[in-house]
Order: sequence, then structure tokens, then C-alpha cells
Amino acid sequence: MTEHDVPGSPAMIRTLAGITVKRLTRGKALWIGGLFAALPVLQAGIVHSWRFAFSPRELFVSSMLLLALLPAIFVGASVGEELEERTSTYLWSRPIARWAVLGGKLVALIPVVVVLGVGGWIAGNEVGGSALPSLASCLGLAAGYVATSLVVAGIAVVVPRHGMALTIGYMLVDLFVGEMPFSLQQLALTYQTRALAGFTGDPAIGAPLIALAVIAGIWTAVGVLRIRRLEV
Amino acid sequence: MTLALSPSLPPAVSPAVATAVVVADRCSKWYGQVLGVSDVSWRLSGGIVGLLGPNGAGKSTLIKMMGGLLLPSRGVLTVHGRSPFHDTEVRRRIGYAPEHEHTWDELTALELVTAMARLAGVAAARAGRAAEDALAQMGMTAAMHRRIRGFSKGMRQRTKLATAIAHDPDFLLLDEPLTGVDPMARIDIVERIKQLGAAGKTVVVSSHVLYEIEALTSDILVIYRGQVLAEGNVFAIRSLIDRHPHRIRVECDRPHAIAAALAGEDHVVRISFERGAVVVETREPDTCYDQIAGAVLAAGVAVTALSSPDNNLGAVFEYLTGDGGRR
Repeated sequence: MTEHDVPGSPAMIRTLAGITVKRLTRGKALWIGGLFAALPVLQAGIVHSWRFAFSPRELFVSSMLLLALLPAIFVGASVGEELEERTSTYLWSRPIARWAVLGGKLVALIPVVVVLGVGGWIAGNEVGGSALPSLASCLGLAAGYVATSLVVAGIAVVVPRHGMALTIGYMLVDLFVGEMPFSLQQLALTYQTRALAGFTGDPAIGAPLIALAVIAGIWTAVGVLRIRRLEV
Repeated sequence: MTLALSPSLPPAVSPAVATAVVVADRCSKWYGQVLGVSDVSWRLSGGIVGLLGPNGAGKSTLIKMMGGLLLPSRGVLTVHGRSPFHDTEVRRRIGYAPEHEHTWDELTALELVTAMARLAGVAAARAGRAAEDALAQMGMTAAMHRRIRGFSKGMRQRTKLATAIAHDPDFLLLDEPLTGVDPMARIDIVERIKQLGAAGKTVVVSSHVLYEIEALTSDILVIYRGQVLAEGNVFAIRSLIDRHPHRIRVECDRPHAIAAALAGEDHVVRISFERGAVVVETREPDTCYDQIAGAVLAAGVAVTALSSPDNNLGAVFEYLTGDGGRR
């Protein structure tokens, strides 16, 4: 070999992301995720057909449920299965930095999660007869999906077995915490996402953005530190 | 007891150690309370080496430590002088085929091997060609565009081997590469592994099946319960096991004539008869062979076959592990 790519370089991450996308398009997860992403559309359709008054705020509740499901279905399952089924042995024996394995998966899967989640939100509003949702709500939701995907990746690295189920459980608890009328709700991804999307009544976006970044950053750091020492 | 045919590791790194492919120095690995390997000191300089031991002996643990998947709990293991766990660069020189069957079944064989070549650092422009060559070497050209999901066990093994060689590493770690494959595929894979060895690559092949290793190489490392029992050439190892006499079987028309010639010798431990043959157990095989030849000539015995049932891995393994080899 004379031509080498640097371990952990963008080329390696691109390769890993490409593999992840290829596997995703040929597996069942995309179909299952797509069905779940249609949840807001279903809700809006029922409301519209029964001629109830459409409320974007109520529709956002199902988007919060999706926040618990979609990252778990895509990121949690992908990272967890890779470690649990030991296909990671192929990757660990390669001259690549281990964080790049996680990076490649996230680069591939986060856009899918964001497109499905935000797309479901936009389509739900359309079907419900409302105007297009606000840009702030779309961007807030997208930031929530990015942060949640990073959290889920960290959890799945630490506890790969049943990674998807565990992360769904974590997010359901997060949903509950996010609804609590105390400062505890500040710790919840779902609360901060609602705040960014403009559904808490507080127009400030700085604090929720920082909170999401901190929560996601902590879990990402946990995941990266763990994966560096992981033995398979 | 460790039977070593090579000198023990010196305390300081000598030039010989520096040029060794693998150096394990008092290397141990625990999984919680479970012992993987214990206090292994070993130096591998090249060639094809068979890692032999029953299931759970510690073969995969040792291979994974060499492949950078596991970190020794105690001691040091280096490949080309570097830690394969910490040093990504040295892993470029390693090709690893795991023992498990799990792989990315959604991909075709060519996609998988190309991806693995890319991840091993082969440039994008060359990775596809390198993957095709590797699959061709493993006899997978016809099936390379098929998805792995539909592959037989033998095809999976070949594909795994192709992922290990696609980036042209000089050190190959093949963990149970012959498990579950049909006899024809087994012969073919053995030949291909031998070709890799002949091409100058250092190959470590693990197996719990004795004749698989025997077909590949005479250089072995015997592991049992996490410890190295013996290393070196299988025939030389056999000669070191002096508490187990060497058996020589002579098929001839007059077995009793040969038995009579050898009966009074000190090195002869036991003589027994089988249909048309005499079996001599001796502590000095070379002397015994000479005396058998003399007896044959002196008595005019017609010999139809002369064999040493001990000169195979099965016998050595049974001797070294007690009942381990008889399972």
C-alpha cells in the first residue's frame, strides 16, 4: 500500500456514513421510522376529518413522542446492534479512530432522523389545515432531534444491549420530567426542544440552545470516552 | 508446563525481539472473574502458526489482543513493536477475520470488502479493485455482487477472509476460519491460506480441530485453560514430551521378528501386536528407527508400512491436555 488515508479523517467518516446509509436503505428501520414519522399526520388527519379546531400546540405533543422514538429507532438501534452483534470487531481491527465509527454513524443517521421528524411536523400542519409551521418551530425541533440523537448514541455505547428499548425508556422519562412544573424540567431534552420551538411562552432561545448543547455534549463525551476503552 | 523450542524472552528488548511480529510478555486477560489468558509469553517471528486448543481455551482472546480489540489486563503485547489496541497505525498492517458469523448482511460481498479496504486506509480509487482481487483470491468472484444475507457458511468464511486480506496486510489473524465449512471448501481455504503464508505473510490461524491445523502448518502454539502449554514445531514438541513414549508402527509379514530384536533394549518401553503389525513404544525414536532398519535387514522381513501414530497434532494435543484432545 502506498496511498493511505489518515485514521479518523473525513474520508473515513464519509466511508462509515456511506455504509450506514446503504444498510439503512436496505433494512426495515427506514420503513418503521417512516411509519412512526407519520404520527403527526395521522393525528392532524383525524382532527381535520372530525372538524375539531386544529391546534399546532397539540400536534407538537405527537412530535415530542417522535422525539422519543425516532432517534432510538435509528441511532440507538444502529449503535447498540453494532456493539452487541460484534460486527464492531471488523471496525475495531481497522486503523481508524474509534470516535470516527460513532461519528460516521451520526453523520449518516442524524439527517434521516431530522428529515423524518421535522417532515412529519410540517406534513401534520399541512393535513390539519393550518398554514406552514413557523421556521422557529422547525428549527427548534431539528435542534431537539440532533441533541437527542447524540444523547441516544452516548447511552447506546454505554449500554449496547437493548440500546433501542433503553433509549426509548430514557426519553419517556424525559418527557415526564419535561412536563414537571419545576426547575427540574430544565434537564429535559423535550422541554428545551419545546422552548426552542416556541411552545413554552418564553421567546428566548439562548438558554434552551445552551441547555440542549450541554446535555448532548455530556452524553457525547460519555459515549466517546467509553468507546475509546471498549473491548469486544 | 510450557514447552518452548525457542529461547525464553530476555528481560530487555533484544534485536531479535525488535524484529518479531508479535511479542507477548507475561500477558494476561481477565473478563471480570473469568480468566481469558494467563501469563502468556510468546514471540512470533513469521510464517504460518496454528493456535490450537479446545473451545474456551483462550485462543480468541489472544487473537483479539493481537488484533487490537482487547487490551491485556496485565503484561505487554506488541505487534511490530507497538500496542495494537492503542496504535491505529500498526492496525493497518493487520488483517483480522473474526470467529463469529455476524457481518453486515445487507451489503454485497464486494461492498463489504471494499468498505473494509477503505477503512483500512486503501485509497478510494484503489479500494474497489483491491476488494475484487481479494474476493478472487478467495474464489468468490462469481458471488461478489450477491448480498451476504443469502450466503452459505463457507461463502461467509471466504468473504471474511477477503476482508482480512483486501488491504494487503503483512500479518493475518484468522480466528477459526474453517469452522462449519464443507470438506471441499475446507481444502480450498487451506490451500489459499497456505498461499498467503508462501507469499511471505505472517499468519496466525486458530482452531480447536487438530487436523485443520495439521493441514496448514507444523508450527503450533497449544493453549489450554488460558495458558500456553507448548510452542514450536509439532514433531519437536512431541520429542520433548519424554514422559510419553513415541510410538512406531511397523506393518510387516513377521512382526515377531522385529519385536524379538528390540525386546531387550533399554529405550523400548512397550511392544504390542496388531493384525500384521508390531507397535513399539520408545523413548529414543531415532535409535529405535535405526534398530528397526537393522532388524528388517538382518531377518529379511518384508515391511509394507512404517508409521508413527504419534507424529500428528492429535497425539500431541492429547498428551498435553490430558482428556482435552479426546473430546
